[in-house]
Amino acid sequence: MLFLLSVVFALTAKGQESKVSGKVASDNDTGLPGVAILLKGTAIGTVTNMEGEYTLGVTGENQILVFSFIGYKAQEIPVNGRSVINVTLAGDLQSLNEVVVVGYGTQKRSDLTGSISSITGDEVNMLPTQRVDQALQGRAAGVMVLNTDGAPGGNTTIRIRGMNSINGGNNALIVVDGLQGGNLNSINPNDVESIEILKDASATAIYGAKGANGVILITTKLGNTEKPVISYKYDIGIASQNRKLDLMNAAEYARNINTVELTRNGDGNIPVPIFSTAEIQEFENNGGTDWQDVIYRTAITQNHQLSISGGKDKINYMVSGGYLDQEGILLNTEYKRFTLRANLKTEITKWAEFGINWAGSKEISNSALFGGSTDWPNNPIGAATRFSPTIPVYDSNGNYSRSSLFYGNPILWNPLASAAEPLIERNSLQNNFNGYLEFKPLEGLSLRITGGARISEGNDVSFLNNKTFIGLQNNGQGTTISNSNTYLQNSNILTYDKEVNKHHFNITAVAEQQYEKYVGSTINTTDFLNEATGAYDLAGATIAKVGSSTDERVINSYLGRLNYILADKYLITLSYRADGSSVFGENNKWGYFPSGSFAWRASDEAFIQNLDVFSDLKLRASWGITGNQAISPYQTLARISSGGYYPYNGSDVTDIGFFISSAANPTLKWESTTQRDIGIDIGLFDGRFTFTADYYIKTTKDLLMFRDIPTYTGLRSILDNVGSMENKGFELAIGGDPFVGAFSWNTGFNLSANRTKVLDVGPVGKLAFNAGGSGQGTNLPFMYLVEGEPFGQMIGWGYEGPWKQNEAEQAALFGQLPGDPHYTDVNKDGKINLDDQKVIGNSMPKFIFGWNNQLSYKNLDLSFQIQGDHGKDLFNVARIALEQSGGTSRRIMDRWTPDNQDSDIPALIDQKTREEANLTSTISFPTSGGNVNSRWVEDASYVRLKNITLGYNLPRSLSDRISLSTVRVYVSATNLITITNYEGYDPEVSSYTGNDAQIGTDYNNYPQSKVFNIGMNVSF
Amino acid sequence: MKANKYIFEKFFFFLLALIPLSCQDLVEKPKSFAAPSTFYNDPAQIEAVFTASMNNLWNAWSGYGWAMRSAFQNTDSQNGGNLNISQNHGSDLWAGHYRSIANINPAIGAIKEGKLEGVPQNEVDLLMGQAKFLRAFNYFMLVRIFGPLPLPTEDTEDPFNAQLERTPVAQVYGLIVSDLMEAVNKLPTSWPTAQKGRPTSDVAKGLLAKAYLTMATAPLNEVGNYQKAADLAKEIMEGERYFLVEDIYKVFSLETEFGPEMMWSFISNYEDVATSPQIWTSMRGWGDISVQTEWVNKFPEQPRKHAYFELENSEGVGFLELGRYAGVKKYEYDKEEDFDAGRSIINIPILRYADVLLIFAESENRRNGAPTPEAVEAVNKVIDRANGYVDNPEHPKLTLGMSVEEFDKAVIQERNFELCFEFDRWFDLVRKRILGEESRETVKQNFSEADYLFPIPENDLRLNPLLDQNPGY
Repeated sequence: MLFLLSVVFALTAKGQESKVSGKVASDNDTGLPGVAILLKGTAIGTVTNMEGEYTLGVTGENQILVFSFIGYKAQEIPVNGRSVINVTLAGDLQSLNEVVVVGYGTQKRSDLTGSISSITGDEVNMLPTQRVDQALQGRAAGVMVLNTDGAPGGNTTIRIRGMNSINGGNNALIVVDGLQGGNLNSINPNDVESIEILKDASATAIYGAKGANGVILITTKLGNTEKPVISYKYDIGIASQNRKLDLMNAAEYARNINTVELTRNGDGNIPVPIFSTAEIQEFENNGGTDWQDVIYRTAITQNHQLSISGGKDKINYMVSGGYLDQEGILLNTEYKRFTLRANLKTEITKWAEFGINWAGSKEISNSALFGGSTDWPNNPIGAATRFSPTIPVYDSNGNYSRSSLFYGNPILWNPLASAAEPLIERNSLQNNFNGYLEFKPLEGLSLRITGGARISEGNDVSFLNNKTFIGLQNNGQGTTISNSNTYLQNSNILTYDKEVNKHHFNITAVAEQQYEKYVGSTINTTDFLNEATGAYDLAGATIAKVGSSTDERVINSYLGRLNYILADKYLITLSYRADGSSVFGENNKWGYFPSGSFAWRASDEAFIQNLDVFSDLKLRASWGITGNQAISPYQTLARISSGGYYPYNGSDVTDIGFFISSAANPTLKWESTTQRDIGIDIGLFDGRFTFTADYYIKTTKDLLMFRDIPTYTGLRSILDNVGSMENKGFELAIGGDPFVGAFSWNTGFNLSANRTKVLDVGPVGKLAFNAGGSGQGTNLPFMYLVEGEPFGQMIGWGYEGPWKQNEAEQAALFGQLPGDPHYTDVNKDGKINLDDQKVIGNSMPKFIFGWNNQLSYKNLDLSFQIQGDHGKDLFNVARIALEQSGGTSRRIMDRWTPDNQDSDIPALIDQKTREEANLTSTISFPTSGGNVNSRWVEDASYVRLKNITLGYNLPRSLSDRISLSTVRVYVSATNLITITNYEGYDPEVSSYTGNDAQIGTDYNNYPQSKVFNIGMNVSF
Repeated sequence: MKANKYIFEKFFFFLLALIPLSCQDLVEKPKSFAAPSTFYNDPAQIEAVFTASMNNLWNAWSGYGWAMRSAFQNTDSQNGGNLNISQNHGSDLWAGHYRSIANINPAIGAIKEGKLEGVPQNEVDLLMGQAKFLRAFNYFMLVRIFGPLPLPTEDTEDPFNAQLERTPVAQVYGLIVSDLMEAVNKLPTSWPTAQKGRPTSDVAKGLLAKAYLTMATAPLNEVGNYQKAADLAKEIMEGERYFLVEDIYKVFSLETEFGPEMMWSFISNYEDVATSPQIWTSMRGWGDISVQTEWVNKFPEQPRKHAYFELENSEGVGFLELGRYAGVKKYEYDKEEDFDAGRSIINIPILRYADVLLIFAESENRRNGAPTPEAVEAVNKVIDRANGYVDNPEHPKLTLGMSVEEFDKAVIQERNFELCFEFDRWFDLVRKRILGEESRETVKQNFSEADYLFPIPENDLRLNPLLDQNPGY
């Protein structure tokens, strides 16, 4: 009590006061606004103004002023009775004193024991991208960002240190200002102050049940200057198709069709060419239809951002708004986003602080029918590559033309109709709210109470009219979906920080509760009387199926963490978290997640300092357990669901069916991942060269998997904890400032190699996933998880190219002729069947890398990023149809003939020759599964000049004249150059993203585009 | 003192802050679906189980909506089969039937336990009749396709984890027969129009007759069942509730989908369409299921040939000339705009009156050791209609003078001509053991005795070591 009194007395004591003022400038004499000046040992301080000037009332004697600013080396200057003190601050390249956000608190970078990568908001803003997730690509070691889908507003897949789970989800946890969950898509990149990526156990264990896949912490901006800073940014981008596939023109195609037709001479049939010479000549003249040109366009994107921020007295604020209008390169696709944010922080009293962040966004998008197997006649992207170029876009009556019944594929739907006719609109409205009260009742003790909510509402409408494939079958098909998701979080964080001599303790205790609720309803309608109104007048539909559902989940958590630092050199962190979640079986509701880490700041040891080489040398090691609970609610309960419709009564409507959809499993529990990490951080040349390396081993056990049960039980599988997975890898990040001064160059290179291995998948020993869809002969599982083998194995038949002319005898053994596809007979039994399957590829990259550079010279700046991955395969399902004998790919013209034996395209052999050869085939592929072979597996390694930006900052002297403080204009190109051997549209795509084991097929997903941007930033 | 006042306030707020730490309950209370323990207590809920059980079997592109092209493609009448039966052949039918059975069993259990309180007995009987019928139907299909089977019933404990053995065929038929006999007693002779798609007691009798006939032939060869089959078929004929449609061209049409000849079918309508109509014709569509050329060329020239098969296109050009295959006209009775749009509402019959007549003819002949006048009359009704009620030397009627073997062979051949593409031919080939001899030359070389049973799905074999595979796989 007495101690408290004396502290309080000191705070309010009034002694002798004198004023000190001056200017704080940087190396090049520009005043630095926002520099903090503190009277050492007191709470008296101030901040410099826009010109870098300050005035501070100083009391007492022998006072020392401490000048500090992020990115600059702090300085301590004794007052010594002076009244004017001017200071020049030197840049601190190491930023070791930078404060880094960690889970439930902050730490100085130099005190970190875990593996954390940081990206500043400025780096994010340097890119003309409108999305935070895309901005992360190639910027941090160990973080793989896949643009699996290039549609505007489309998804990326983010994986930190490999895949841990099969059914539990592999998405990293996103935390925005402490609010967990959420989507990187709807955050305005302009609002981001910093991003921290937590990778190892000691960093992520603090998030317990949700931390197993890594954590991405985002902190949003607050102003800190007395005079409000208003900044406006405008960007316009022009996007176009990155790559066109090499397809035959109409004349070449027609000639090929004739060639194919002439082979149908079996059974005494005399074939007649389909196209006459005159028709072919006509195609030579007019070129036919280039369907890729028909459905793609040059798309324009505009982005406006406005923000006002400042901080004065006890209030800091930031208000920002943005409007993004993005067209997609595929016709009839676009995305609009409005965002608005207001951040506020205020000091209520000296020991209480209040803050509130509110962000709202509204997204409206029009999507296309794309990706997946069920849409293949509909999918405009695939159809455009396969539709006969000999057919015009419209027929003689002005309607969309149909495919021919006599050649090509008769089922394909007109690509323009599939692209332009569907209405698929998604609307979503999101409100994120985050508030806190922080009390500091005693020195070093603080209690922070936070309450947050994320409420999102979605409303989707779609309508497929009679000009689309599905719409025609159903006389119009309309769907409306509405759903709402509510997430509430309350975290209560108690922190105690105490320094005694050489010992520094920081203890954090948290009690947290989370609640999530989903409510949704759907109306599916078909058979419309009036197409014109379609899904906007559902009463016009004859048949309507309705559905609704709701679910909830609850998590209660307790956690504690101790940070202990001895002599600023030996750092220990211990944490422990207990999470109870409602989604787990009644016997296993609680999970426990401990972690520990240790670091040695060798650069602070005398013997290292004497070497005078290292500016930073830290060795780290950590161990911890984190969990994964991302499965849907109610999985442990037996369920009877609705939906088995059938006209049991024989009437014109279907009757409702109810059926058992799952069996109970009361022992279902968390997946848990144990991670060990060792790392080293090195800084040389006064911080101008930095090197960070980490090696880690993660073992995930009790994997949530659908354990197969015999099908005679009526179910296929039960969700159970079986199986385990291992991820091993290393990460390297090298950074440097080779040049500083008028010409400066900052570079960062990161490389990560991760190996995921399947340790156990249950009694079956392997799990197979169907990823090739239907209709292309790939309706057979070929993505496998096999015990003891790497994740992402593709298993099928080996294709060795066509049989050579001199191999006629061997070919005959299989019932084939030279020029026919030669499959590998693995067991050498003279037959090709399921026993001859082998590994034909792997969908995981051997390593991924990114190289980021910032150069600046006087007022010009240039930045560029090169990124890529190496060693992954893609199964190019889309190519199968293109290379059919009557297909559209130009490669067909190079098919095998006795004069052209080097081709990998099988020969075209006429029926009569085959009949005369009278061979019996020993090849038996399962129905619709014959194309699962290595002919379609391609190396999808790539290197991409992801982004290059050239900017010009107007000199202060000029901008001051128009009373603007900064003016920057820039031009930028994204996806400018891609170097890859992959033949499809884009080596990053994946058509199946429901389950990571299925990543690795290209089935006509929306490709990424090449974009050119021009923009400007101004601020007052 | 000022300082003290603040300190009190500080701790007050501190304490206040601890209040929101009330913990939420972790027990789940689902609102969108039912638990099995609270279900099955209402007739409408039980009927919903029946609906779902048929949905498992019949859907566009799956189940029996595709089985003719996949599991049953090796019949002599159909194109595309080559008697190369590989692992997991027909595994989707195994899964579909067992899913139906797994849902029907608890319904039967619930009715037996008396969960339907307050429901009049006759309604309860109707429900039990349908339940037993559907279960018997599922097991009847399974046992003919796969042989000895795991046999879960309402009495099986812990059905999702039970490791069951393969019950011998005779015992499986024991359950089928007892279920069908109960169905015969409890199902009505007819349903109100609004429920015309449901099975009647005649349908149960017909299925039971077919079951007895199958038991009388391979693999059980218990000839005592011929009598029972003949008696049941006769009951249906004497009941006069079903008749042959006179005009062969109208046997398969929208008007006759639910009678007088069609007794029970896989049903489609605009809300639940069948597989695209384009699979039945290779001249106007994809022709996934088409008629084998050699077989159709041997088909006798008669009105039936033109009614059941699409032999030429709209311009009168024959399928051979076009280089295509004959189509299955039986299932091309959709309206033209529906055909163009690719939607189909055809039904595929599971049992029709012509089948009953032929069952009677076959079993009566065998029971007697020689054809009887009733047997001859029954089969000739079918032949006469096929010929358009004139005498046709290419396909003469059968006579009393034929030997038992000759008559039997002729009746089986008549089944082949009349009931082709109705999921019957495969089972006839299997139970008469004539798969090898009836297959065409190029396919015969692939025939082996093992082909009479499909393999047990790999998945189930792997997960239940008590199951053994059928020979030859």
